Amino acid sequence: MIASWEAVRALGFVDRRDLPSAASIVETAAVDLWSGGLAHAVLATIGSWAPGLAVAAVAGAGAGIALALLPRLEIATRPLLEFVRPIPSVALIPVALLVLGVGLQMQLFMIAFASIWPILFSTKAGVEDVDPRFVETGRVLHVGRAARIFRIVLPAMLPSFATGLRTASAIALVVAITVEMLTGQPGIGSYIENVRLSGLVTGMWASIFVTGVLGYLVNALFVTVERATMPWSTENRDR
Amino acid sequence: MTARGRYITPLAWQAATILALIALWQWAALTYPAVYLPPIERIAQGYFQIWHGDLLHSALLPSLRRLGAGFAIAILVGCVMGVVLGSLRSLDPWVRPTIEYLRYIPAVAILPASLIVFGATDQMRIFVIAFGSVFPVLIAATDGARRVDPILLDVARAVGLSTAERLVRVVLPASLPSIFSGMRVALSIALVMMVISELIAADDGLGFYILRNQRLFQTANVYAGVLTIGTVGLGLTLALLAVEKRVLSWHRGWRGLTETGRG
Amino acid sequence: MDKSAAMNEPILAVDNLTKAFPAGATPILNGLTFRQEPGQFVAVVGPSGCGKTTLLRCIASLMQPDTGSVLHRGRHFDNPPPWLSVVFQDYNRSLFPWLSVRRNVAFGLRGSGANDKRVDEALRAVNLEHAADLYPWQVSGGMQQRCALARSIVVSPNLLLLDEPFASVDAQTRIDLQDMVMEICQTMSLSALLVTHDIDEAVFMADKVVVLSTRPARVVEEIAIDLPRPRDQLATKETPEFLQLRHRVYTLVRKQAQKLSR
Repeated sequence: MIASWEAVRALGFVDRRDLPSAASIVETAAVDLWSGGLAHAVLATIGSWAPGLAVAAVAGAGAGIALALLPRLEIATRPLLEFVRPIPSVALIPVALLVLGVGLQMQLFMIAFASIWPILFSTKAGVEDVDPRFVETGRVLHVGRAARIFRIVLPAMLPSFATGLRTASAIALVVAITVEMLTGQPGIGSYIENVRLSGLVTGMWASIFVTGVLGYLVNALFVTVERATMPWSTENRDR
Repeated sequence: MTARGRYITPLAWQAATILALIALWQWAALTYPAVYLPPIERIAQGYFQIWHGDLLHSALLPSLRRLGAGFAIAILVGCVMGVVLGSLRSLDPWVRPTIEYLRYIPAVAILPASLIVFGATDQMRIFVIAFGSVFPVLIAATDGARRVDPILLDVARAVGLSTAERLVRVVLPASLPSIFSGMRVALSIALVMMVISELIAADDGLGFYILRNQRLFQTANVYAGVLTIGTVGLGLTLALLAVEKRVLSWHRGWRGLTETGRG
Repeated sequence: MDKSAAMNEPILAVDNLTKAFPAGATPILNGLTFRQEPGQFVAVVGPSGCGKTTLLRCIASLMQPDTGSVLHRGRHFDNPPPWLSVVFQDYNRSLFPWLSVRRNVAFGLRGSGANDKRVDEALRAVNLEHAADLYPWQVSGGMQQRCALARSIVVSPNLLLLDEPFASVDAQTRIDLQDMVMEICQTMSLSALLVTHDIDEAVFMADKVVVLSTRPARVVEEIAIDLPRPRDQLATKETPEFLQLRHRVYTLVRKQAQKLSR
């Protein structure tokens, strides 16, 4: 990776000053994290990302389960869901700005709104795909209707919920950073913009590098938790 | 209940939900006039303006052009790299860490960098769209190529196909089902990146149109723009599904066969 | 109804059972009638696709018949009666993948504490103590089916329904499972109803074989199997009585299957 970066630099398609060397990027990243505002920016972004995602997880899972178990509700709301689904959530940032103004509240709302959809749809699919044989087995073993939902349907759909949550976590990060870039809300997005506008090219690349590491770590965290808590999920069995 | 009754009742319910929501919106807009609650007819008016006249050329078409170019690059690069990486395992340890790192960079973060490198140009927006949407295609193509039945490759070799021919005539078609599902994910990401790039750095396109109207408090136009983006997304998804259905007609029949064979 | 009367009732009475599935389609079961006495081992055989699984689901009260009745000890049930247990054919779809073998076995037991002992006993009965803490998808098909069997007997049922329980395991495992099920039924004095397409298996294991016709299924004949118990895979299967009974059942089933292919 470092080699290809240096190769692009050496080939000179792009002005050298715009592409600092890999070593200087990593060095700047370390310095900015240690002493500069980069660490604060990362923490600020996580500080809005985590609660927004948490709200979406609860609401999305609840709505997904309800839609899967109550066919009438699903039928009645289907046009609404199909209508909202193709709209990219970021297009609603201007609308949210109109209604909620600039601030943490609006950012949290956008993060939660954007990440609710993958969670909702994969939870719904997870509940719908529960093997009817599982439910039948529960009936034969005299497990009541409510207990069947808690002891059979919920564990059976957990892996798809987790997959939805992992997808949503990446979307939430994108939305958080976009909102920060657009509105100057403290966080990685506004940090990168400020560094760019101050002409600190190496600093900008360093903060992008750190953002990538953050995205990678977030995904790795979810994968690790999924493997530890759901060894039975078909995705994890081979490992 | 008759078959017809079963079919119509949900439709009636769905129509009722839509009408009720529209009515509720309109009622609220008229009773409690607010900037963010414009009446329906103004939104509809704004919506139709986008689809013809000046706005078509200053908002919708520039967006579609960038989206098309970025998405096409993503598909091309993703398929070529994916098929090669999936078939040549020896490359894996070299390339995989890079891809694993790049794919988890929130694609927005790349935007300021490409602004510096390309300036506020269409190239920059196309690059951002392509960067955001290439990874789902690339990963899907790699996966698909890796799962090609080795027997098919042996057959190809036995018939005397060269390596390049094998990639194009065996590995690529066999990975197409996987590639198409990656493309569906990529399309929605491309749409998101299109909007973001136009929100942050553009002087035309749908994203810019929405943001400008928000700053002018022309709320009806903001909603109209959002609806247009939704329409574009829906239309492109349907088009992609239609292409997929044609291209992959063999796949469903084949899968049906192998699955009944197993059961 | 007092207790002694309940004891004299057949454990299962299927009377003129008719069922179409899905509703409105041509019936799958058409006027089926047979009885099962307490302690009896009944095998239901018939040509493939004749509706054996639908019959079993009706008997388990997982489905309600369109007409006719299924009575358990003289009573009708909307849900599976508490003394009934089912082992399904596709064990990999009925064992919960998120529970260990032990917890799968314990699934139907309420509360905890004293249950540990019962689970241990059930696991011992099917020879699975060593795999108790593994997940079902980590063990072989035969072990999975033994786990499903343990889960069914841990609730101390009186009637065990077996839906092609040995269909998807290899031949040797199949023989071991047959012996294991017969032994368990003997020691727990269980009644068992086995649905199978394997005629050897039906004759070898059962006290009575019920032969079904092609779709829509009805009872063609009931054949009493009065071979002595305990039965042995080699000795019993070599007796002339076994061969004679096997021949009779086989002829009946083949006649039905030929009707189908015509």
